[in-house]
Amino acid sequence: MGQRRKKADVSASSEKRASEADTAASNPTASNPTASNPNRKHSICMVSDFFYPNMGGVESHIYQLSQCLIEKGHKVVIATHAYGRRKGVRYLTNGLKVYYLPLQVMYNQSTATTCFHSLPLLRCVFVREAVTVVHAHSSFSAMAHDALFHAKTMGLNTVFTDHSLFGFADMSSVLTNKLLTVSLCDTDHIVCVSYTSKENTVLRATLDPQIVSVIPNAVDPTDFTPDPSQRRGGRITVVVISRLVYRKGIDLLGGIIPELCLKHPDLHFLIGGEGPKRIVLEEVREKYQLHDRVRLLGALEHRDVRGVLVQGHIFLNTSLTEAFCMAIVEGASCGLQVVSTRVGGIPEVLPEDLISLCDPTVRSLCAGLEAVITQLRSGAVPSPADIHARVRSLYTWRNVAGRTEKVYDRVAGEEVLPLDRRLLRLRQHCGSVAGSIFAFVAVLNFLFLLLLQWLVPDQVMDRAVDASGPRALWGPSQRDHPAEEAGAGAPTAE
Amino acid sequence: MDNEKYTDINGKAIALNYQRHSSFCTEFTVSSPKVSIGKVMVATCFVWIFAYAVFFFTDNTAVLSSAIIITLIGMMLYIHFVKIDHESLLVIGSLGIQLSSSYASGREHTSFIEMSKIKDIVINEAIYMHQIIYYLCILLRDPADTSAVSSVVPLFQSSKPRLNCLVKVYKSCQEIISKC
Repeated sequence: MGQRRKKADVSASSEKRASEADTAASNPTASNPTASNPNRKHSICMVSDFFYPNMGGVESHIYQLSQCLIEKGHKVVIATHAYGRRKGVRYLTNGLKVYYLPLQVMYNQSTATTCFHSLPLLRCVFVREAVTVVHAHSSFSAMAHDALFHAKTMGLNTVFTDHSLFGFADMSSVLTNKLLTVSLCDTDHIVCVSYTSKENTVLRATLDPQIVSVIPNAVDPTDFTPDPSQRRGGRITVVVISRLVYRKGIDLLGGIIPELCLKHPDLHFLIGGEGPKRIVLEEVREKYQLHDRVRLLGALEHRDVRGVLVQGHIFLNTSLTEAFCMAIVEGASCGLQVVSTRVGGIPEVLPEDLISLCDPTVRSLCAGLEAVITQLRSGAVPSPADIHARVRSLYTWRNVAGRTEKVYDRVAGEEVLPLDRRLLRLRQHCGSVAGSIFAFVAVLNFLFLLLLQWLVPDQVMDRAVDASGPRALWGPSQRDHPAEEAGAGAPTAE
Repeated sequence: MDNEKYTDINGKAIALNYQRHSSFCTEFTVSSPKVSIGKVMVATCFVWIFAYAVFFFTDNTAVLSSAIIITLIGMMLYIHFVKIDHESLLVIGSLGIQLSSSYASGREHTSFIEMSKIKDIVINEAIYMHQIIYYLCILLRDPADTSAVSSVVPLFQSSKPRLNCLVKVYKSCQEIISKC
């Protein structure tokens, strides 16, 4: 399934390249001598509010993707906001540099946006790291949107990765979608994690589907290996690992538990995660006296997840909305039978014989679970090692990084619109009212940039010493292929 | 002595002088630009125009005389406590490091760090105001645990030279420290 998608993606991108070549031929100013070089090394700045020490899917996505891009010889830096006492500049494995910028956090670890206040620091990062591509993550992150806006003001190419699905109907969605339209109107390329997510993003932000690519998430298959010896004999264990929030369908779980526990006396539930809906599960446990059969483990560290997964036979996911469910891939990678709701991008994630899809209702989920339990009892399920062997090749970070690299190659050759054409596009694309307001904000931002450039000119800022990329002073890529690195470093030199 | 041009992080020219007293002892001096007459004029004019505006509405001459006194005292305080003319770093192998800063008024402030307390000298990056800058600092050894760093002493805090100047000082310091 992953293979099929990859092919589709490659053919789509080759089509785009052909059309891009046409536009480049017709527009001589757009032609860039370095654009045609596929071995070009980029200098990438990942921007998101969400990064370690905060835990979650976006955080690990950024980290793993950055590591694989560094392995491919690109230079990667990450900009995020300060977490508590963690401020300033840090280095992670393989010279991955992280800037924890002191920006005020407003809500849910997302910074406040005024469109301006983050410009001085982000400009400093972009200039001193000689960034060529700005890659922003997550539509919940205000800092990511700010960075896209500032990068365009500074004339840099931008990529945006959307990790979540949104609605269209309620007031907050309408507003968020309008902001997303404005923010993505200038972005060169958008990456979504599944086809459902692509459809959603294209509709929400009224984008040209040509500039939206689908690159799924991945799991580290070496972290999630099966170990059937950890399973307790004489019982069937259902594992649920998710944040205990409404979006993850915890109310459904609260309905399933008593029904199935009544029918199957050997059924046990192991629930990992923390959240406001924990109380629902505790009530159910209390009401039906299931203390010995439903274990609530509370918040889990990422490294402990595998230890919980391998204890189970069935992995249950009850999400009500999901762009791409990493948890079910992790579950399948540990050799579990996966039962999940058929929502969002989930049907795309795993081959049909590895997953049982149900409607997001208690009855349908119970029926699905019971079918799997019967199969387990009769032994008509593939062994955990077989499941793992199939899943391990589906989603790898190297594959994700290779496809993201193609996006960068394409974006790096694109022309950044000058201010006048940018304003025109904003007004055409976003409607006359919002378009005019944001055109005004874009002009103010440009003037602010001129002021900053007058106060501290670009040439006064020290260029940072590279810790990754072609001219890295440390890191394994330098030691392994010094000759190749030196050759590849030439085109990126200013 | 070399002719390389050095600037501080705001692009103003600074001068780096170093004297090799012996192979174990080197003194670095970073001199900031002198107080510019333009800056003094702007500050003075600002206070006086404000005082005159207040005088215009209150008709109280005490405002004007206090403005004169404020500018004079302000200028004295500025050159005595704020404006640093040059900062120097005297590295003596096996003995220690002496940091001294001399103010525009001639006042000097000197401190000395013993070599046994010094773990290393490094160049670090920090976020300073709305910029990200490189700075040179001394890492102090934790007396309880010799492998840990107890605190950090930033150097050239007032002149804030750029990376090329810091690298020069860093290399010479490391040469001396590694010998002992």
